[in-house]
Amino acid sequence: MLIFTLRRLNLFIFTFIVLTALSFSLSYLFPGDTLINLTGQVNASPKQRLFLIEEYQYNSNVFKQYWAYLGHLADGDLGISISSHTPISYEIMNLLPATIELSVVALFIAMIIGIPIGFIAAINHEKLTDKAILSISMLGYSIPIFWLGLLAILVFSIQLGWLPSAGRISLVYEIEHITGIQFIDILISDNPYKWQAFQDATLHIIMPACVVAIAPMTIFIRLARTSMIEVLDSSYITAAKTKGLTFWQIIYRHAIRNSLVNVIRHVGLQFANLVTLAMVTEVIFSWPGIGRWLIESIFQRDYTAIQGGLLALSSFIFIVHMLTDFIYAALNPLARDRKHGA
Amino acid sequence: MARENIYQEEEFPSPLLQLWYNFKEKPFIMLAFSCSLALVFLAIFAPIITPFSSSQSHLDHILLPPAWNNDGNVSFLLGTDQLGRDMLSMLMHGASFTFGLSFIIVITSAIIGVVIGSLSALTSGFKSSFLNHFLDVILSIPSLLLAIVIVAILGTGLSNTVLAIIIVLIPQFIHTTRNEVKKEFSKDYVLASKLDGASPLRLLRYSIFPNILEKIITQATLAQSAAILDIAALGFLGLGAPTYIPEWGTMVANGIDLFYIAPWTVYFPGFAILFAVIATNLVGEGLRHALKLRKEH
Amino acid sequence: MNLLDIRNLSIVMVFGNKRIIAIDRVSLAMKEGELRGLVGESGSGKSLLAQAIMAVLDEKWIVDADRFHWRGKDLMQLSISERRKVIAKDIAIIFQEPMSCLDPTTTIGEQIEEAVDDEQLTGYFWQKKQQRKLAAINLLHKVGIKKHDKCTKSYPHQLTEALCQRVMIAMALARRPMLLIADEPTAAMESTTQGQIFRLLASLNQLKNMSVLLISHDLENMTNWTNRITVMYSGQFVEAGTTEQIFTTPYHPYTKALVESTSHASLSLVPKSKLSALPGSIPILQHLPIGCRLGPRCPRAQKECVNAPKAKNHHGHLVSCHHSLKDTY
Repeated sequence: MLIFTLRRLNLFIFTFIVLTALSFSLSYLFPGDTLINLTGQVNASPKQRLFLIEEYQYNSNVFKQYWAYLGHLADGDLGISISSHTPISYEIMNLLPATIELSVVALFIAMIIGIPIGFIAAINHEKLTDKAILSISMLGYSIPIFWLGLLAILVFSIQLGWLPSAGRISLVYEIEHITGIQFIDILISDNPYKWQAFQDATLHIIMPACVVAIAPMTIFIRLARTSMIEVLDSSYITAAKTKGLTFWQIIYRHAIRNSLVNVIRHVGLQFANLVTLAMVTEVIFSWPGIGRWLIESIFQRDYTAIQGGLLALSSFIFIVHMLTDFIYAALNPLARDRKHGA
Repeated sequence: MARENIYQEEEFPSPLLQLWYNFKEKPFIMLAFSCSLALVFLAIFAPIITPFSSSQSHLDHILLPPAWNNDGNVSFLLGTDQLGRDMLSMLMHGASFTFGLSFIIVITSAIIGVVIGSLSALTSGFKSSFLNHFLDVILSIPSLLLAIVIVAILGTGLSNTVLAIIIVLIPQFIHTTRNEVKKEFSKDYVLASKLDGASPLRLLRYSIFPNILEKIITQATLAQSAAILDIAALGFLGLGAPTYIPEWGTMVANGIDLFYIAPWTVYFPGFAILFAVIATNLVGEGLRHALKLRKEH
Repeated sequence: MNLLDIRNLSIVMVFGNKRIIAIDRVSLAMKEGELRGLVGESGSGKSLLAQAIMAVLDEKWIVDADRFHWRGKDLMQLSISERRKVIAKDIAIIFQEPMSCLDPTTTIGEQIEEAVDDEQLTGYFWQKKQQRKLAAINLLHKVGIKKHDKCTKSYPHQLTEALCQRVMIAMALARRPMLLIADEPTAAMESTTQGQIFRLLASLNQLKNMSVLLISHDLENMTNWTNRITVMYSGQFVEAGTTEQIFTTPYHPYTKALVESTSHASLSLVPKSKLSALPGSIPILQHLPIGCRLGPRCPRAQKECVNAPKAKNHHGHLVSCHHSLKDTY
């Protein structure tokens, strides 16, 4: 297990280097002055500009510049937003938790609903239930998410009036921003209207999270189904049948664990896909997250913001990917001994 | 007295023909296949067969509902938008953008991805591990984020989005090709050719490539539905086609402001996207299923 | 009284609208304490027969027999699940490739404890867990695994094939079966480990009076351990008799060819002479010959072989052939 952890750490460091190199190179690739892209200081006076050149080693070679950039990153300085003139790290700290909240809730919804349905489809392989589940999941997989979001708003907010259509929480409630994760903040604040705020926040998150969760849910249904079919066909299930265990005992004790192991491996890969969908959903539902901010930044040509946002978001996804890798290794003893690499 | 060959002549059609027979079996998938063909036809011939030009404004027929509504007009079958453009013509023309461009994207990224992937599979050791990790990192960046960054570098516009999506889809092809070629390399028939003295390139071209073609085709069908959704998503966000081009995603974005009074401007383009993606997915499913069946026999 | 009495068992596979008769009227009768061998090439349907006895085939196989009795009880009248319940209590089976028959994500200890029969545990609720553990350790000792500590804590992929097969036998013994079916237990092992497993099976047969049905394609190896042998070819019953009879005086041309291909027979061959073998190969399921399925390859085939022969009994030596070699001895 130790070697596995060391290998993962190695990968993390390597990834970090690649990601920072990528975001560093963006300041050269983006149109406009490189230094402005890097720092975000549009209206720097000549003296300030000299100072910045010194800070970021602008006159030396590329490696020194990169090293200076890394130094600034270690201090938490990602530059200043070109459009809003606030430090980018400040913006990210405000916005990233909202995206984390949305993606994690959506991931849970997709897994908790998708995986059992996939198992049910596999147990009823080739029968009507299986075919129905496959057809409906094909629909979920094909629908464009922005259209789905619009239709959901039309039906649930406008026509039925059940759920609110925008934002994270009603403006009536004032919740102190401590961790950034709304639900935790509500619970630890000492607002007298705690439970109403909690309910309100829940109502606000249901629609966006469900809309984001639909496509990953169908993918999980397929993955769980394929995995369970493969497991049910294997020799050890036949051997367990001859041991005298009943069907449900076999499913519960052996089949689920083995099929789950194969599905968990893919969660890490799916998460990047899920964040993409979350970004589009944030625009439609005006969810104050990093996705919406990034898309606005593009229109405002705020290159520093895009750099910072790319770095933050990719690191977040990679950390989640690593976590799921660890969970997968904990569940599956075979994975621990295997060498890393595709 | 023993007779050596007493079993009747069994007919073994060529693999391609086997694939076609397997594919033909499911009626639902054949339906999707014909719909796909219809969309391809539309994509190629749309500018010629649309009833009106898609950019022509009919200022006296603004915001007409579809023809089955009381206020509708039968010459504008699916209604008009806020500039008086005919929805049906726009939808048909949009097929060549959203659907037709996806073909170009997939073919380009497939060719580039497969070439890079197979070449990278030939390397081994430190270089290979490095490339592998690099690829993992690129794959873990969300596709939309990557597309946004590329659009930010190159600027908005339809050709830039096409380029961006091609670049985004290439890593997936590289990943699949690399895995498959690596797997095939460890098989014995490749070893046999190598012992005969075949160079790596020759091995790739004659031994390995025909065997991984199926996986590549599977990946390409998946990539195509992703490409259609991505073009539409970028169009919707305003980063893709400008508003005068009737790309389906852009049409949905145009229709949002009038959602409440003219919902058909949002329904129809979205439905068109859904239709195209379902058809592509079903054809992809059918292909995958036929390939699997062919392997089992 | 016969322990297992099967008469004219047929297994039909329904494939779309085609019916393929995979096993064609096979009969098998086993007594208590007998170590029986079932020989046949791969593709002869032996594993299918074993699975049909254990009732673990899925719906696409239709099992039908004139008589399928276990200890006098008629099993054909029961539904599949009931049959499985009756069989699981008294018959156990071990498979080829034992490592893939063990759940890769659970430890060996847990899997053996799972196999321990609940009814054999006496004692109160809280004592049962401890008793189950003791019973598992006991089983491991019975199959010759002395260092049970390391074994119970490891996962299947950390053990060797022979060790896994012993674990499988231990799990099979948990319910104290009267019949143990060993479906090619040593196909994936070298000859030294093969000997270990066979010796274990033989000792279990003698000490506990447990009947063993040993299924294999290796005629020569089996003759060292078994008292009676049944031979199958392409889903049909060919010959059955004591080991001595089968080996020294085979009545069926197929058995004769099988015996002649063993190394014992070839020791007496003149150098540079042709090795004796039947021409052709075993037919595939899509092209099964009518009547006696050895027909196309048999050197003694004639017109009558178009009809499937019935089994004839010659003093306990059964053979199903129109032109058996009985008269040549």
